[in-house]
Amino acid sequence: MAMLYDVRLELHYEYEAMVHNDRHHVRVAPLSLPGTQRVIASALSFDPRPERETSFVDFFGNQVTSIAYGDYHDHLDVRLTARVQVEEPEAAADLSPDPAALEGEIAALWSLDAASPHHFLGPSPRVALDPAITAYARSTLERAGSVAAGALALCLSIHRDFTYDPKATKVDTRPAEAFALRRGVCQDFAHVMIAGLRGLGIPAGYVSGFLRTIAPEGKPRLEGADAMHAWVRVWCGQHMGWREFDPTNAMPAGSDHIVIGYGRDYGDISPIVGVLKTSGAHKAKQSVDVIRVE
Amino acid sequence: MEKRNQRAPATRARRPSIIGGYKRVPGIPDEMLDTAGHVRPHWSQLLAGFDELGPKELSARFERADQYLRDAGVFYRKYDGAEGKERAWPLAHVPLIIAENEWQQISEGLTQRADLLEAIVADIYGANTLVERGLLPPELIARNGEFLRPMVGIKPASGHFLHFCAFELGRGPDGKWWVLGDRTQAPSGAGFALENRVATTRALSEIYGRMHVHRLAGFFRDFRDALFADGGRSYGRVGILTPGQHNETYFEHAYIARYLGFMLLEGEDLVVQNERVMVRTVEGLKPVDVLWRRMDAAFVDPLELRYDSRIGTPGMTEALRRGTISMVNALGSGILETRALSAFLPALSKAVTGAPLKLPSIATWWCGQAAERRHVIENIEAMMVGSAFATTLAVDDDQTTLLGATLAAADRDRLVARLRENGADFVGQEPVRLSTAPVHVNNRLEPRPVSLRVYAARTREGWTIMPGGFARVGSSLDTTAIAMQRGGQAADVWVLSAEPVEKVTLLPQAGEALMRNRGGSLPSRAADNLLWLGRYAERCEATIRILRAYNARLAEASRPDLPLLADTRDYLEDLGVDATEALPAGLLGAIDSAVRSAGQVRDRFSPDGWLALADLSKTARRFSNKVTAGDDATRSLTVLLRKLGGFSGLVHENMYRFAGWRFLEIGRRLERGMQLCGITARLTGPDAPDGALDMLLEIADSVMTHRRRYAVSAGRLSYIDLLVLDPLNPRSVLFQINDLREQIEKLPGGVLDGQLSTAARAVLQLQTELTIADPDDITPDRLIALQDEIGRLAGLVASAYFV
Repeated sequence: MAMLYDVRLELHYEYEAMVHNDRHHVRVAPLSLPGTQRVIASALSFDPRPERETSFVDFFGNQVTSIAYGDYHDHLDVRLTARVQVEEPEAAADLSPDPAALEGEIAALWSLDAASPHHFLGPSPRVALDPAITAYARSTLERAGSVAAGALALCLSIHRDFTYDPKATKVDTRPAEAFALRRGVCQDFAHVMIAGLRGLGIPAGYVSGFLRTIAPEGKPRLEGADAMHAWVRVWCGQHMGWREFDPTNAMPAGSDHIVIGYGRDYGDISPIVGVLKTSGAHKAKQSVDVIRVE
Repeated sequence: MEKRNQRAPATRARRPSIIGGYKRVPGIPDEMLDTAGHVRPHWSQLLAGFDELGPKELSARFERADQYLRDAGVFYRKYDGAEGKERAWPLAHVPLIIAENEWQQISEGLTQRADLLEAIVADIYGANTLVERGLLPPELIARNGEFLRPMVGIKPASGHFLHFCAFELGRGPDGKWWVLGDRTQAPSGAGFALENRVATTRALSEIYGRMHVHRLAGFFRDFRDALFADGGRSYGRVGILTPGQHNETYFEHAYIARYLGFMLLEGEDLVVQNERVMVRTVEGLKPVDVLWRRMDAAFVDPLELRYDSRIGTPGMTEALRRGTISMVNALGSGILETRALSAFLPALSKAVTGAPLKLPSIATWWCGQAAERRHVIENIEAMMVGSAFATTLAVDDDQTTLLGATLAAADRDRLVARLRENGADFVGQEPVRLSTAPVHVNNRLEPRPVSLRVYAARTREGWTIMPGGFARVGSSLDTTAIAMQRGGQAADVWVLSAEPVEKVTLLPQAGEALMRNRGGSLPSRAADNLLWLGRYAERCEATIRILRAYNARLAEASRPDLPLLADTRDYLEDLGVDATEALPAGLLGAIDSAVRSAGQVRDRFSPDGWLALADLSKTARRFSNKVTAGDDATRSLTVLLRKLGGFSGLVHENMYRFAGWRFLEIGRRLERGMQLCGITARLTGPDAPDGALDMLLEIADSVMTHRRRYAVSAGRLSYIDLLVLDPLNPRSVLFQINDLREQIEKLPGGVLDGQLSTAARAVLQLQTELTIADPDDITPDRLIALQDEIGRLAGLVASAYFV
């Protein structure tokens, strides 16, 4: 069944000292994904109005809006409103190979396009391979058999073993630290899961997106729904391709999940990257609403 | 097999005495001697020349070459601490001579190779057919730190990725040249090759004059013209992008910028506006069209590449995407340096160019492939094993590159286990064995391993190969110890022609229009540094003068608590100088600050000026350990004052009067004006201690003038008159203001259509006020206010030109 959502995002930054000559790349708008996600309308606005606003598509196919300011300003507001239709993925039989056979399937793929699993093996700038995480993933996957079953098992065990705790980690916490704490937020859980899978030679990437805010009646509200969300995608072989898993909520990503974009880790798809020259600190606020349209 | 050269019997008979005792290493080719131990014909003239000069003269000549390098301030930076130290350039004095016909083969091989590398990098960032055809493993690219994804799909504005490459060559035991590595990221050393040439030919001028050695200037001229043509034929739009003065080859960046007339730019000098790269200059933002980068690509844009880069320019990638800037070489070209790529070049060459490589790479096996991995493991004792993704040369990298033959059994087993587990991370290579060439040690020649760095530049007519280059000579017979960072040396390379060669110079030829390169606008950062260089130099002088006057009085005084001495100590303390130290740390700090400011603008003033400043700093440090207060300090401070005067004189006499000089001069005048106000206020007050006025005159170097002009009516007012209001005294406040007015009005936008800039208005106001002032008006309070006003003037200049 298709679900229709209205998404509203506000990012608010306040600078202690005035900034100027700054430039930012914004990746917050939902992506159109043929067959699974359709963007009906999407509008992005900024305050103050940028002197220059351009957009481009990055290597992984994400839509990037680049904004630049010359004059001094003391705040930056980013506002997104969008209406998105998401299809419920059909339940499919598990046709994924076991990890050993997966290696052969990867080796047979002579491609470097954005969806090629080759980009999602080995360490990436924010996800180093970590022996402890790899060992944790190995012990979970050993019993699972196929790659897809193993990925789901790892997703469930991270949910079981980790505590959702926004105070425990920061945006640049390394996966190894979050793993040692067994605490963190969606970004940390995703990074730990990615590190674990890659440590076993299974291609895994980072998905940035939104999660529906108001739970269906009788069901609990999902964790992380009042902020932007992140989960993991795993390459499950030639037949199944990429599959998405949400370790924060112990479930495969489905019609509650709205995709903004893909990357190797948070760094490739962070909502806003900016270069500011400022001596002062800045304060940031974020609010997200994802309302189902009946 | 080595080719037997035909030799005239006479050559064989007369063995030059300089090579007495020179022994080739068995089994390894020597550049100078053939297998039979006879001098190769292209070396005979040089050796005869050495014999003619005789051992004593030859050593003196080589010393002259070193002296030249020291005088020219040629250095490289050696990293042993946080910032590294500047080291003298280690010239190996005997040039490496290569016959023209052999050079021709090298040139053809490198031209083919450069074209091949261009085709590969264009494909990696473009259509990606090489991966799809199975010629390049996707893993090798996808897991490569030098694969810059934001560059995929961007076509270089110039149409080419590669414009300037270097190749490291070695001659193998079979006598053939092999490519040890390709440098495509930001190859260094071309400027040092030039300096090697200048130094070597200073030492061996007659010999060089007699031999037909190919000149290097034509290569640089052609490349310069190609870059200027890329930049729309307008001068001042080509910049060298440097990581800054702490980079190991910063000297070379500044040197090439000066030699070719390019701007020397740091990331901070640039701003991207409407997808165009602009230079912040004292005349506002000016566009730049071509950047010859000496910075690793990932650091160029913190927004899309390395987000932790502090030396980049945000938005550079967007400008590249729009094709408004040409990058030499394109960002991402560093991927061609990947060591494992060598394994695929033979097949790529056949597939892309239809021909085998004319110059082979050293044999390389990438352990990501089963058969290759097996081969490396089975032959581990004959392998050099290193990281597949390394971009350093195996010969430079003995830290992480392991020689199978030298490993203990347990270590070898561990290595094999790692190869089995993570094969894709490793390459096996045939261990490098290099040929030997002569170096001059203890008045005779001895063989040392040698490798050759050769440069290729893209011109409008295609690749041109520098006829020469830069030979790296090992410090011992061990072939792994070539790296300059570890005590090797560098020699000039002479490509010897049978015919007289064209003598090229970068100076305009008769009949050629004189093109006056103004070097573009002055970047704001350079202007800022020049202004501060002026200020720090002047601050040093003021401090030294006060300290000297203090120490002279201390030597004569019965007690150090005399009011004048105590007062001076207080005054100096306010300046951050502790006068109880004979040579205070505060003074050394000011000298360091001057050196630091100067270090950032080395392309903008003469090497002599730099050396004078470096000498001052060295002398001050030496003194600081042993000088004692009083007479000793007075003498030492006089020496420092003279050295500082030498620096100021060199700058003043030799610096072209362009905007850069003006900022330096403004800095000097601002600082002197403020210092004069401060000390005069202190020493002319109503409660100034005995002897204060005399000391003031001495500090302001105006004793003689005062005696002459005010013989009859000396008093407080005469001192004020001379030191504040006299327009003819170069050490009066008004003199500084008058000069400031002249310089500030001549700055860009100083006077526009009769309208004065804010700074020009402010200085005019000060000038008017002082010109009509009476000595009576100049109270200590007024002087302090004046000091503040001059400080505000400094702020106005900064906010107008350094934003």
